[in-house]
Amino acid sequence: MVQDYKILLVDDEPDFLETNRKRLMRRGYSVETAASCSEAISKLETGWPNVVVLDVMLPDMDGIACLKKIKKKWPAMTVLMLTGHASMQAGLKGIAHGAADYCMKPIELDELIEKIRIAHDETSSLHGR
Amino acid sequence: MNILKYLFDKFFPSQISRPKQGISELQVAFKKQYRNFRSLLTANNNVLEIMAEMEQTLAMGQPFSMSFIRGRITALTTNVYKIIQYLSQLSNGKYSGLTSVFNDLTTQLENILMQQPAVPKGKFIMPFAEIDRDSVDLTGEKMANLGEVRNHAKLKVPDGFAITSSAAHHFIAANNLEDEINRRLQTMAPDNLESVYQTSAAIQQLISRAPLPADIEEAILAEYAELESRQGDHVLVSIRSSATGEDSITSSFAGQYRTQLNVDKEFLIQTYKEIVASKYRSQAIIYRLQRGYRTQDVSMCVGCLAMVDAVVSGVIYSRSPENPRSKWVVIHAAPGLAVQVVDGSAPTNMYSVSREEPHKVLDSKISCPDTTQSSTGEQVSSLSSDQIIELTRIALRLENHFGAPQDIEWSINRSGAIIILQSRPLGLLSLDVRFPEHEKNESEESTPCLMSGGTVVSAGVACGPVHIVRSNIDLLQFPEGAVLVVAHPFPEWASLLNRACAVVSETGQVAAHLATVAREFQLPAIFGMEKATEVLKRGDIITVDAVGRRIYSGREESILTQATPSPNLMKNSPVYRLLQEALTLITPLNLTDPASPFFKPSSCETFHDITRFCHEKAVIEMFQFGKRHSFDEKAAKQLVGKTPFQWWVIDLDGGFREGLDSKNKFIHIDDIVSTPMRAIWHGITAIPWQGPPPVSLKGFGSIIFQSTMNPNLDPAVRSTLTAKNYFLVSKNFCNLSVRLGYHFALVETYLSDFLTESYVSFQFKGGAADETRKLIRITLLKDILERFDFRVELKADALTARIEKKPTPFLLERLQVLGYLLIHTRQIDMVMEDQGMLQHYRQKILADIDMLLKTEIKQDDQGATVNGAGL
Repeated sequence: MVQDYKILLVDDEPDFLETNRKRLMRRGYSVETAASCSEAISKLETGWPNVVVLDVMLPDMDGIACLKKIKKKWPAMTVLMLTGHASMQAGLKGIAHGAADYCMKPIELDELIEKIRIAHDETSSLHGR
Repeated sequence: MNILKYLFDKFFPSQISRPKQGISELQVAFKKQYRNFRSLLTANNNVLEIMAEMEQTLAMGQPFSMSFIRGRITALTTNVYKIIQYLSQLSNGKYSGLTSVFNDLTTQLENILMQQPAVPKGKFIMPFAEIDRDSVDLTGEKMANLGEVRNHAKLKVPDGFAITSSAAHHFIAANNLEDEINRRLQTMAPDNLESVYQTSAAIQQLISRAPLPADIEEAILAEYAELESRQGDHVLVSIRSSATGEDSITSSFAGQYRTQLNVDKEFLIQTYKEIVASKYRSQAIIYRLQRGYRTQDVSMCVGCLAMVDAVVSGVIYSRSPENPRSKWVVIHAAPGLAVQVVDGSAPTNMYSVSREEPHKVLDSKISCPDTTQSSTGEQVSSLSSDQIIELTRIALRLENHFGAPQDIEWSINRSGAIIILQSRPLGLLSLDVRFPEHEKNESEESTPCLMSGGTVVSAGVACGPVHIVRSNIDLLQFPEGAVLVVAHPFPEWASLLNRACAVVSETGQVAAHLATVAREFQLPAIFGMEKATEVLKRGDIITVDAVGRRIYSGREESILTQATPSPNLMKNSPVYRLLQEALTLITPLNLTDPASPFFKPSSCETFHDITRFCHEKAVIEMFQFGKRHSFDEKAAKQLVGKTPFQWWVIDLDGGFREGLDSKNKFIHIDDIVSTPMRAIWHGITAIPWQGPPPVSLKGFGSIIFQSTMNPNLDPAVRSTLTAKNYFLVSKNFCNLSVRLGYHFALVETYLSDFLTESYVSFQFKGGAADETRKLIRITLLKDILERFDFRVELKADALTARIEKKPTPFLLERLQVLGYLLIHTRQIDMVMEDQGMLQHYRQKILADIDMLLKTEIKQDDQGATVNGAGL
């Protein structure tokens, strides 16, 4: 079960990317990182990831716009939004545009993993995979 | 033609209006429906859990921050939104009225979260002649009080002026620092001291390096020039923080911010910026989080006061800090400046003086004998009896003026005049009330103690490992719940008071800022415990008796039993009130009765209402799936076997054994593979129900009476849905609605691989007997459920119980308990007449459950026979 997830972490904070990449990989997940939306899109184009953990603040565009872009091209992709600034409106927009969940930083690793698993379960069963 | 069609429709309804779908299509449709249903339940479960967490947080008094509130409300909103979306998909867009209710609530919540204190407006500088209590929003508590002392109590204060909150606000705004500060605070991990220190240092640097806008700088320098004209050129000033909200009755903010003494003109501007920055000192950040103040609830005003050439300084309490009803004033004095007294670094002389004329000295403790200063030959530390009397009069006058006991800082200058530096409310606890019997009786030595002595600066008892703090490195390693042991009670150590269980210091006394904060947090503290850092060893467990002034090795239970519960430090703070207000839109449940005509979207007033409504409707949508899709294969099957009541089962997904004859209208329990249903069923059947208990005539009369009063109790008007006992099952899910006699009960559970998804919930309502009997029974139920770790809520005669996030074996046991209770508490309200009966049933139930949990869940239910095929 563990090995199925190919997680793309998208965040503008290098520290966050690095520590969480290492932690997730230690748990046996495959992880890649992207520091901007455009980098994330090009990683998605390789067809590798099946889960995206997306920060709400990105250097090149805001996370919701990036989410829309991803969902337009890959409607079945599991996307979790992660944010340092909890905002109701951003959360609602995120869900409305197809994010599986909207989580708050700081998040415990176990909680993040569980959210990824539930989100991936829900999205993939909705899209008949 | 029309008649023909009518007849055709009447006899073959499904053939026409709902063309029969192929099995695979139906199964796809069902799977989709079921996924939506499950996702809705997960979101529903999240909502209930977050609501419980928020309510508990408010009640428990554990500190919580705005980011906690914002985070919880955001999580709640997204989950409620998901629930509405899933219901809309389940019901093909029925209940669209929910959207406007939801939007309305989110807007209101957003407004609550965005509430901001008013931006301070006014001039940048105020001279003391203009300051009093009315200027508190501009000058902060400390300077407002000092202005009051000067202008209304007519006592001497240092010459000077205040730089207002309006100036501080303009300074931060002109440099666009607010967003950056907030960003850094939000990414800070408040439980990690290192993160707090880093954030604190970074923000302070940000502020002290930012240029001060020219208009503020000019105004400060102009006012300083005025001061020079009165006090002489190059007058030195002390620059003191005077935050808004500081020094109020309930929150002292003692020693949280910076004060800089002996500042000359050259450093005036830089020091001002540093004092403004000290709003973000680590101890201030932690203090605000502990007490429920947002950053924006505190504005940094600054006082600029000509230095007093102090010979002797100190603190007066107009009443003893240990005893607010004391009939004496307490004076602490030390040579030089008052700061040594309050930062705890110098020993002091202490005088207790009667409040009554002629103000006799009742007690004195001279710790720093007079020293002779070589240059002047003045005697500096002990007070003359005239000075003692004058200080006492001042204390009484200020207490009278402010209408509450005061904590006063003072200096006596070279010409012998008493100058008041500060007067603030003495916000202390009635410790004498909390510890009535525990006297400082030295002779009553039963257990030998490790050390004794010093002064109790905050009463209480606690036990924990010793952690000696000498440096910042010791500070960062400070474990949760340790005893803070220090040589001097510096105000910086206050950032540890949310982690420490007690404080022991070698020096210092009751006037130190750290002592004030310890009292506020109700943390036991002994100061002046000599050699504490030598005698106590890091990591050793000790018991601190900050009443009897003793320290014991190990846990001293006889002392610890006197500990008092910790106070709710958050209560009535800005953040506390904000959460309270937000919860009024979230947790109240108004839609309790699904049968009521008001059970509709437009009646929903809270998130709880929406959630309740959606859950109810989602269950109904699932029930009706079979009907809507003319889906015989998955429709209800009657459970056969020797059971006292009738039960129907609907398979949602994988709840029945594979290869089961789908056409059969009956099913045997062995053909059910739903794990949670099997557990409930075991609880229902393992101990046979012995029929209704014998009812006295009085009890029966009560039922008849209730039936005539409450039409819902009349079995004849049951809705089709609740007429039967239904199980909706899948492999790991079970929703059971039961209407047995006059009671309605709902059990729902999902046993997931993910702990966050797993839960058991139980609702129980009604009963035929009168209110008293119903309440007795429901209290019995509550009691039993709580023994089995349920979180139980009672509202009138409705009971809700939940358990979440527990592993499957744990939940399976609880499901058996519920199964048992469903059957066996049935109708006992009729006999619930007295306490004796209650005891009898409680014992029987607990014994039964004990037995039940020892028996295996049967794989083969021997009592049942498959005999219903032809019925």
